[in-house]
Amino acid sequence: MKYDDHPVVRPLLALDGVCVAYRHHEVVHDVSLEVASGEVVALIGPSGAGKSSLLRAINFLEPPSKGRIVLDGAEVGGSRRSLDALRREVGMVFQNFNLFPHLTALQNVMLAPVHTLGIPPAQARERAMQQLTHVGLADHAHVKPGKCSGGQQQRIAIARALAMEPKVMLFDEPTSALDPELGAEVLATMRALAAEGMTMVVVTHEMHFAEDVADRVVFMADGRIVEENAAGKLMRDPQHPRTQRFLNAVRNR
Amino acid sequence: MGTILSELSAGIAQTVEITLASFVVAAVLGLPLAVLRRSGSWWVRLPAVVVVEVLRAVPPIVWLFLIYYSLGSTDQVRLTTFQAAVIGLGLIYAAHLSEAYRAGLDAVPAGQWEATRALALPRAQTYARVILPQALVVVVPPMATFAIALLKDSAIASVIGATDITFHAVQLTQQDLNGLGNFTVAGLLYIALGVPFALVARAADRVLSRRLVGV
Repeated sequence: MKYDDHPVVRPLLALDGVCVAYRHHEVVHDVSLEVASGEVVALIGPSGAGKSSLLRAINFLEPPSKGRIVLDGAEVGGSRRSLDALRREVGMVFQNFNLFPHLTALQNVMLAPVHTLGIPPAQARERAMQQLTHVGLADHAHVKPGKCSGGQQQRIAIARALAMEPKVMLFDEPTSALDPELGAEVLATMRALAAEGMTMVVVTHEMHFAEDVADRVVFMADGRIVEENAAGKLMRDPQHPRTQRFLNAVRNR
Repeated sequence: MGTILSELSAGIAQTVEITLASFVVAAVLGLPLAVLRRSGSWWVRLPAVVVVEVLRAVPPIVWLFLIYYSLGSTDQVRLTTFQAAVIGLGLIYAAHLSEAYRAGLDAVPAGQWEATRALALPRAQTYARVILPQALVVVVPPMATFAIALLKDSAIASVIGATDITFHAVQLTQQDLNGLGNFTVAGLLYIALGVPFALVARAADRVLSRRLVGV
């Protein structure tokens, strides 16, 4: 791929022939995907399709066994320094929030700006407060995660990722651990983020979110991309029988 | 009884000092041992495993003799009995404590490590700010148990001549032949000294658990 010849259309994030394997069992086979700046891509598909594994390969939480990850024109190498450079630019939101339970919301959000980016604490605190305000939780700044609802915890986790001012945000089934009502407030936060132009890759089972918020939907099954298209098109008029079967099953539930 | 007590009290300070000093050595050295034992590379893990196993396999009294008669009596180094006891007991308990630390580190959920990696948090900060505060809650109760065990094991320092409670009990018995009385009082003294350890441990446990759950 010769991105440098086409700086105007260069994708912000590119996955090129990415495979993910656990021990010797490959769960993602040769996936290539490009994400433009400001684009929201939803990854959908049945459990075990390799969506989460693919997402986690992007920031090397599961290092790809083959293939390349290119962020903003720079290929990510295997060195700790290269990985840290990538992870500074890529925010991650987990299914189970993974907030630090012994720290307050504010401390959770401040931690990485201070210790990863080296921002002075006073400034980082201001930035963290901005992000907590952003997700509507300024009044919970001094509360520990254990005292917050699941939806609030996930929004704190989003603020924590945003405080790094990432170029891309990855969401790994961010509402799967939440009941529908709490999930809705998280989805609203994500919707607002998308409207602000954040580049997002979202693994989700929320079909409405995929259809309404994503620009593009990628359907995966058995570790491969089966079909991808503009969100409205793929959701309303899937071409591949496997996609049709999945969407029918999900909708008739 | 009163006279025995006043004779043996001369050793209380030494017993407490050996216990506390050894515990500090053990608490400080145990942590790197635990971290090394969790390394992903076998060549980092192996030396730590060997050190821990050797320290635990040899009886404490043998370690104390070894240290005292090697390091303690060369021309270059001349350790006091107190120093030899603290080094020996400190190292042995570092091995024991490393197991407690390891259990504590294992108890921190994988998601916590993942979050720190996703945030590119440097390793030192990951341990200091995220992992250890959570591991500590799990480590404190077994640590207290080890502290009390150390208090009792400190009695073997008397065989190399450290002037602790047991040393004084032995001395006194050689004079008055009242072994039963002297060692009964010695035993009671160890029980009494153990109580504060248990209380401090319980209080620490309460405070730490509350900090974790949050306000």
